[in-house]
Amino acid sequence: MSILGDSYTLLLRELLIFKKNLATNIIRSLTFPVIFIILLGSFGSAPKNVPVAVVNYDNGPMALNFINQLQLGNSVSVVSEATQRQAMSLLSSDNVAGVIVIPSGFTQGTANKVYVYLDNSQPQSAAVVSAKVDSVAQQVGVNPVAADPGSVSVVTNYAYGAGSNYLSFVVGGLLVMVASFGAVFTSGFTLLSDRQLGNLKAFLTTPINKFSYLISKIAYGTFQSALSAYIGLFIGLLYGATIAAGVLGFLELLWFILLVGLGFSSLAIALAARSKQLQTYALIAQTLTMPLAFLGGAFVPVTLLPSFLIPITVVNPLTYAVNAVRDIMIKGSLPLATFITTSAILLAFTAIMMGIAFILFKNTSEQI
Amino acid sequence: MSEYIVDIEHLVKKFGSLTAVNDISLGIKKGEIFGLLGPNGAGKSTTINMLLGLLKPTSGKVIVDGIDMQKDPAAARNNIGVVTQETVVEPELTAEQNLMVFGRLYHIPESELPKDIEFALQLSDLVPFRHAYAGTFSGGMKRRLETAKSLMHAPQLILLDEPTTGLDIQNRTKIWNLLRDINKKDNITILLTTQYLEEADQLCNRIGIIDHGKLIALGTPSELREKIGMTSVIEIAAEKEDLQKVAAEFEKIGLEPNVLSNKVVAPAGSNATKKIETLLKALSAARIKIHNVSMHEPTIDDVFLKLTGSEVRDATGEFSGRAGAMMRGGR
Repeated sequence: MSILGDSYTLLLRELLIFKKNLATNIIRSLTFPVIFIILLGSFGSAPKNVPVAVVNYDNGPMALNFINQLQLGNSVSVVSEATQRQAMSLLSSDNVAGVIVIPSGFTQGTANKVYVYLDNSQPQSAAVVSAKVDSVAQQVGVNPVAADPGSVSVVTNYAYGAGSNYLSFVVGGLLVMVASFGAVFTSGFTLLSDRQLGNLKAFLTTPINKFSYLISKIAYGTFQSALSAYIGLFIGLLYGATIAAGVLGFLELLWFILLVGLGFSSLAIALAARSKQLQTYALIAQTLTMPLAFLGGAFVPVTLLPSFLIPITVVNPLTYAVNAVRDIMIKGSLPLATFITTSAILLAFTAIMMGIAFILFKNTSEQI
Repeated sequence: MSEYIVDIEHLVKKFGSLTAVNDISLGIKKGEIFGLLGPNGAGKSTTINMLLGLLKPTSGKVIVDGIDMQKDPAAARNNIGVVTQETVVEPELTAEQNLMVFGRLYHIPESELPKDIEFALQLSDLVPFRHAYAGTFSGGMKRRLETAKSLMHAPQLILLDEPTTGLDIQNRTKIWNLLRDINKKDNITILLTTQYLEEADQLCNRIGIIDHGKLIALGTPSELREKIGMTSVIEIAAEKEDLQKVAAEFEKIGLEPNVLSNKVVAPAGSNATKKIETLLKALSAARIKIHNVSMHEPTIDDVFLKLTGSEVRDATGEFSGRAGAMMRGGR
C-alpha cells in the first residue's frame, strides 16, 4: 500500500514536469512518427500517374485498344507523340519515364509487338511502366520488346505489394519501434538525470521503499512511450494506413503497444540501475534496442533474414509484438490463442526485466 | 532513552583496500548543533551516507533516536531531515509543488499537507514565489527552499551536508539564522558538515574534526581554539632550499614551525608583530631571500596543521584518482 502510494507521488512529480513541458513533449512525440511515416510510407508505395509517351505508327483499332487499356487505372498517364524522335527527346529530358512505340502493321498482325524504352535512372517509375505494359500486352496478345538493351532488368517484384497495405506494414513496425524506443529513452534517461542531479539521493533519504522509485519510473516510461506510439497510430491512420481487424483490432493494438512500453521501460530501468554516465547508458540502450527492433521484423519481414539470425528473432519479444500488430493491421484477424501467447510473452519479459532491475537496484546505495 | 539522538559506534567503511572511515565513535546530544569538520575526502560524506542508511557500513552501527539504521531504515529516516550537498530542488516544479512532493514522500497526512506547505513557504521566505518555478530561483532561494523542505515532517534531527558552500554572505547569514531558530524553538538537533571554521565557530555547540577517516578532535569551538593555542598564524614563504633555515629561526624564538612545500607556518602566540620583526631581522642577517610574509586569523588549515602536522592535502582537498572518487561516493 505504502509502496504504491509513494510510487504514485513520484509518478505525480514526473507528470507535473511533463505537464509543464507539454508542448515540447507533444512535438517530440509527433516528429518521429510523422517523419517516419512520410519518408518510409512514400518510399515503398508505387508511384502513380507515371507519364509515358506513346508513338502510334499503326493507327488501327488494335493500336487504339492498346492505348485505351494503358490509360485504364491510374498507374500511367499517356502523352501522344507523332514521332519516335520527339518521344525520345521527352524521355531524355526526364519529362516522361518511358516511351512505347506501336509499329505499323500492329493491327494487321505483321508486327505483333510494341517497343518499350525505359529510363532506369528512375527504377520505380520504370517498374510501373514495365508492369503496366506487360499486363496490357498479355490481354491484347502481343510481345513487348525491351528496345533498350540496358533497361530490361527492372525490378517488378515488390516485397510488400503496393498502396495502403505497405503503409499499414510500415505503421505497424513504427508503432512497436516508437513504443520500445520511447520507453528506453524516457525511463532510463530520467533515472540517470535524477542520479546525476542528486534527486535520487534526496528521494532515498526520505522514509520510502526504494522500489517505489523504480515502479514510478517504469510507470512513467510506459505512459510516455505509449502516448508517443498512440500519436503515431493516429498519424498513420490519418495518412492512410488501415486496421484490417476493425474496432476490436484497434483496441488490441492499444493493448500491445502498452505491453511493449511496459516491457521496455523495465528493460531500461534494469540497464540504468547501475549506470552512472548518461552517455554510456545511451550507447548500451541504443545498441540493444535498435537491432531488436530490426530483428523483430519492424521493417523487414523476419522471413527475409539470414538463417543465423533466426535464433535471435525467436527470443526477441518484439518479434511476437510485431507479428501480432501485423496480423491485426494487415491480415485482419488475430486468433485468441495468439493474443494470449503474445500477451503472456510480453508480460513475462516485463517480469524478468523488473526482477533484474530490482536485484540490481537493491544494493545500489554504493553507487550514489 | 539516552541523551544522544545519534549514536555512532565503531563505524568502519572500507572500499577495497582503502579505509574511508576508520573506527569512528561519536554521540550527538539531543538539542545541540554539532559540526563535523574536515577537508573533502576526509570521510565526512561517507560517514553521513552511512548515517542516512545510504551506504552499508563494513562494521559498526548507527542508531538514530533509538532505532538501528541498518535494521529499520525507513523508521529511522522518519526522524531525519536532510539537506544534501547538491542543492536538490526540481527546477521544473514550482516551490509549492516541490514541497508537496516531499511532504507526501515524508508521509505527511493529506489533511495536514497544505498547512505544512504554508509553514515551509513562510520559513523559507518564499511565500510570494510559491507558484514560481524553482529553476528561476537564485542559489540562495533554492537552498532555503531545500532547507524548508527537509523540515516539513518535523524531524528530530536535521542533517546538512555543507549547507552554505558557495553561498554569498547574505544568504549564508539567512541560513544560519534559520538553523538557530529551529534549533531554539523546536529543540531540533542539527548536524552539519562544513569546511569553514568560521561557520562551525558561529553556529555549533560542539565540533568534531575528521581526517583520514578518523575522529581526531572533539569539543566546543573554544576548546578547540585552545588546542590550537593561538590567536594568529605567521607564514613566511621562501626558496625551497632555505625553508629549513627559516624553520630554525622560528624555533630560536620559541615557535613550533611546520615546513610546507613553499613556506613555513607557525602559531604566533602572543606579541605576534614583535615576533615577525625579530624573524625578519634574523633572516635578513642570514641573507635568506623572503618571498612573502603574512599573518592571519586561524583557519581550518591551521587547525589541521596543528592537529595532524600536514597540509590539507592538495589545493581542492581532493584525493586523486579512483580512491578519491570512491571516497566521495563514486560520483
